[in-house]
Amino acid sequence: MAGKGGKQNRPGGGLSGRKGAGEQEEEEQPLQAVLVADSFNRRFFPVTKDQPRALLPLGNVAMIDYTLEFLTSTGVQETFVFCCWMASKIKDHLLKSKWCRPTSPNTVHIITSDLYRSLGDVLRDVDAKNLVRSDFVLVYGDVVSNVDISQALQEHRHRRKMEKNVSVMTMIFKESSPGHRSRCEEDDVIVAMDSKSQRILHYQKTQGLRKLQFPMVTDNFRDMTSLTRNCKIHFCYLSELFTDNFDYQTRNDFVRGILVNEEILGNQIHMHITKDGYGVRVSNLLMYDSVSSDLVRRWVYPLTPEANFTDQEGRSCTYSRHNVYRGSGVSLCHGSQMEENVLIGSDTSIGANCHISNSVIGNSCTIGDNVFLNHAYIWNNVHIASNVVISQSVVCDKADVKEGVRLNKQCVLAYNVVIGPHISLPEGTVVSMHHPEEEEDDDDDEFLSDDADVGQCKDKTKQKVFKPAEVGSEGKGYIWKANSLNDTEDEELSHCLWGLVLNPDPESESEDSEPDDSDDPVIPSPEMDDVKVFQMEVLGTLQRGLEENISCDNLVLEINSLKYAYNISLKEVMQILTRVVLEYPFQQQGSQLTAPQYVVVLLPLLKKWSPVFKNYVKRAQDHLDCLSAFEEHFLEQENHWAAMVKVLMNMYELEILEEEMILRWFSKGATTDKSRQLRKNQGLQKFIQWLEEAEESSEED
Amino acid sequence: FTGAVHGFLLSPIEAFLSDLKRGGSGTGPLRGSAETARETTALLRRITAQARWSSAGDLMEIIRKEGRRMITAQPSETTVGNMIRRVLKIIREEYARSRGKSEETDQQESLHKLLTSGGLSEDNFRQHFAALKANVIEAINELLTELEGTTDNVAMQALEHIHSNEVIMTIGRSRTVEAFLKDAARKRKFHVIVAECAPFCQGHEMATSLSEAGIETTVIADAAIFAVMSRVNKVIIGTQTVLANGGLRAVNGTHTLALAAKHHSTPLIVCAPMFKLSPQFPNEEDTFHKFVSPHEVLPFTEGEILSKVNVHCPVFDYVPPELITLFISNIGGHAPSYIYRLMSELYHPEDHEL
Repeated sequence: MAGKGGKQNRPGGGLSGRKGAGEQEEEEQPLQAVLVADSFNRRFFPVTKDQPRALLPLGNVAMIDYTLEFLTSTGVQETFVFCCWMASKIKDHLLKSKWCRPTSPNTVHIITSDLYRSLGDVLRDVDAKNLVRSDFVLVYGDVVSNVDISQALQEHRHRRKMEKNVSVMTMIFKESSPGHRSRCEEDDVIVAMDSKSQRILHYQKTQGLRKLQFPMVTDNFRDMTSLTRNCKIHFCYLSELFTDNFDYQTRNDFVRGILVNEEILGNQIHMHITKDGYGVRVSNLLMYDSVSSDLVRRWVYPLTPEANFTDQEGRSCTYSRHNVYRGSGVSLCHGSQMEENVLIGSDTSIGANCHISNSVIGNSCTIGDNVFLNHAYIWNNVHIASNVVISQSVVCDKADVKEGVRLNKQCVLAYNVVIGPHISLPEGTVVSMHHPEEEEDDDDDEFLSDDADVGQCKDKTKQKVFKPAEVGSEGKGYIWKANSLNDTEDEELSHCLWGLVLNPDPESESEDSEPDDSDDPVIPSPEMDDVKVFQMEVLGTLQRGLEENISCDNLVLEINSLKYAYNISLKEVMQILTRVVLEYPFQQQGSQLTAPQYVVVLLPLLKKWSPVFKNYVKRAQDHLDCLSAFEEHFLEQENHWAAMVKVLMNMYELEILEEEMILRWFSKGATTDKSRQLRKNQGLQKFIQWLEEAEESSEED
Repeated sequence: FTGAVHGFLLSPIEAFLSDLKRGGSGTGPLRGSAETARETTALLRRITAQARWSSAGDLMEIIRKEGRRMITAQPSETTVGNMIRRVLKIIREEYARSRGKSEETDQQESLHKLLTSGGLSEDNFRQHFAALKANVIEAINELLTELEGTTDNVAMQALEHIHSNEVIMTIGRSRTVEAFLKDAARKRKFHVIVAECAPFCQGHEMATSLSEAGIETTVIADAAIFAVMSRVNKVIIGTQTVLANGGLRAVNGTHTLALAAKHHSTPLIVCAPMFKLSPQFPNEEDTFHKFVSPHEVLPFTEGEILSKVNVHCPVFDYVPPELITLFISNIGGHAPSYIYRLMSELYHPEDHEL
């Protein structure tokens, strides 16, 4: 195991200068991180059949190394790596890497289990094993970033100090505008946050949504809409409260779960948006393409290819103009051009008259003459014969591309595949040594990294025959379905390696970017119905409460759950509750009640339900909302104005409403004639006068 | 087993290496090069004190080996290599003294001597001297003391160069120049024009700092350098490295400034402490340049345009020695043509290539 005792503290010359004030706290509590080296989805299938996603090379360095470097450079001193699929490979890789050397400033612990099936499982295990002591950083194993998170960390710690255990998580977002190359449409989220406190109010994936619904929550509500790209770095704090909440499949459910239960459990999520730096998750091959090219174009500086930050022997490379990187021992024959943005790994030889641009070529590859590569990602030990054309495709380890082969856009050749000679693969072809049907068979235990299982697969493979028409006369491999993008039946894109193509659909863009204006008229219509239904339900609940003598606490709980079921804002709850209670006597006794009768029925009810009111009426705004609903009700019931003062008085005496608020409501001025009339009502005038006097006398005291 | 770095020394070395690798996310080195020089020297002192070695040859081998790693970690940070060479030179001298030879014999590398060969390398520094370690450490301590005082030593000469009511132009932010100007401002009134040095705009910080010290300061865009130059009496700049030919590797835009100064025959003074002198020549391409994230040139938040263009963000410029009037180092003023001489005093010729 990687666990090492006696790790020395960082020497004084280390990062101390940069971290400043936070340093002292950190020395007491070293920053920890949880790295989930499994995506729990199959986006990179069938490539990930042979190699876990975290180990796929990105710019000739395994993805997990970028994540670990990111964590280390932000001052994380202890990292727990959770692996599931092909855990042994990840473990081997890490044990060999610089992270497990005794000098590593970041102690890496590897925790493997075949039983993790979701992020929730991992978090539950983190909690069960008591691994983390304080705030920790939660990342996936495919994050590439150079963002400085120390500021976000400080904010997070400050928030947690101010309000004990309220903020459970800070999410870090990286801003990127629509149409950006590295913005993956399926990862787009819509986030509503409070601009003052940076609290997240609403979080929703936009993929597949045409219309976006916002529950309008507070006044200083600001939407960040899809301007942000989630680079999935979180600070979490695991508290006792939190323990039960891991029944979530994905991070999305997790976040939404916390938000929905916010008012019950009191947990909040905050966000931090970073404009500087680079941060992205490699979630599909389209992202792989854009992250690779960003890497070569030095956006992730100082994590550049020539920096050799993984400290592997013989992996250093030189950097020259037009972003051309060459490893040691690269040979390039006469007439070959490396145009721009090219990374070539060590000991790779390239033939004559080749034309290479925007490509990454791994270590120990051989490439023949007259080869044309554009946006090609060639991994290690690949053999490419002469006269081959490859554009925007991925060729995995040990694949063999014979002479005259042409790979059109978005092709994937998985491990050990042989293609050709003289064949052209259509756009989006995926070729693997594993047969697609065999995959269907063991679909259920996809996450079990069973070596015996792999052995069986090989036996099966031998029984099936390669089709020369598909992979060429000497070819070896099976075609996975040609990846048509309009295949809507595809379950949750699980097979769609490349992800959705960014479609600059102007309609959707405009909708995304200004939902406040264009969507406002759209939202109320579906919500109106919800409001009606909600009102009925609240009425029913109260009735039942009376009949069955249910305690007010339970009534509050029920109303709360109704609130979520119908997606009703707190303000509306207040108004509806007030209205329902005030109308209750009419509901029960018919609308012919006289004012005195009405008062007689209502007052005991008010007394009974006052705890319910008190639960909702807390802030000044709540009082005003309640009062405006009250006013609305009496405006409709003109002949009951006599009862109005009594009811108001009663509410005041029950301490549902405060005098200050009543005065403010009264003085706020009426908007319509009728409400002006209402305010002129004698009883009300007297009551207000009495209140004012009472206030004055209390002030005098 | 001698000649190796063992256990507990590894961790500070690794920390320093990874710090170097991460150093400078954009605006050049996070720390000033003076600090880097001090840190390197302190680390080398620690290696000398704690590593196992029995002879000067062993020690030099260890320092060379670790030094190569430090240099590859961040090739653009030449100060690290310079300090390694200084320490190697110290070891040579101390060894020579221990053997009873005067340092002088070692200094003079004449053609005659090269041909007759011999000298120190005959016994390859294999002789053991008990006092060598203490002597080397003491000499390194002296070097550290020298490094502490460099900025002050440079600044002390300010009054000789800056006169009342002069207009001085500078570019970007150099700590040495900042101290130099502030020192002069204690006695004299003058006007400083700062070129902002896009895209990092360190010039803004420089201007703020100068005006806080009570110096009349103007910030101009880089494009206005030529236009403003006719009013300028003197150009005073800092540099990242002084190259072996007397040229500079300085922040982007310096070449423009130097050419404009030449055109108007304005003197160009370079404030460069001795530890910036490097035996490197400007033709070593892959270590000369440093390209950082293009974020400052074109923000990453820009949308579609980014997928259509290539953006580069180089950090350094080369300034040929013909454009430079005077170097001011901590030991006095020198002409560019004298740099090679200083170089041979500071470093042993065998250490130029580590």
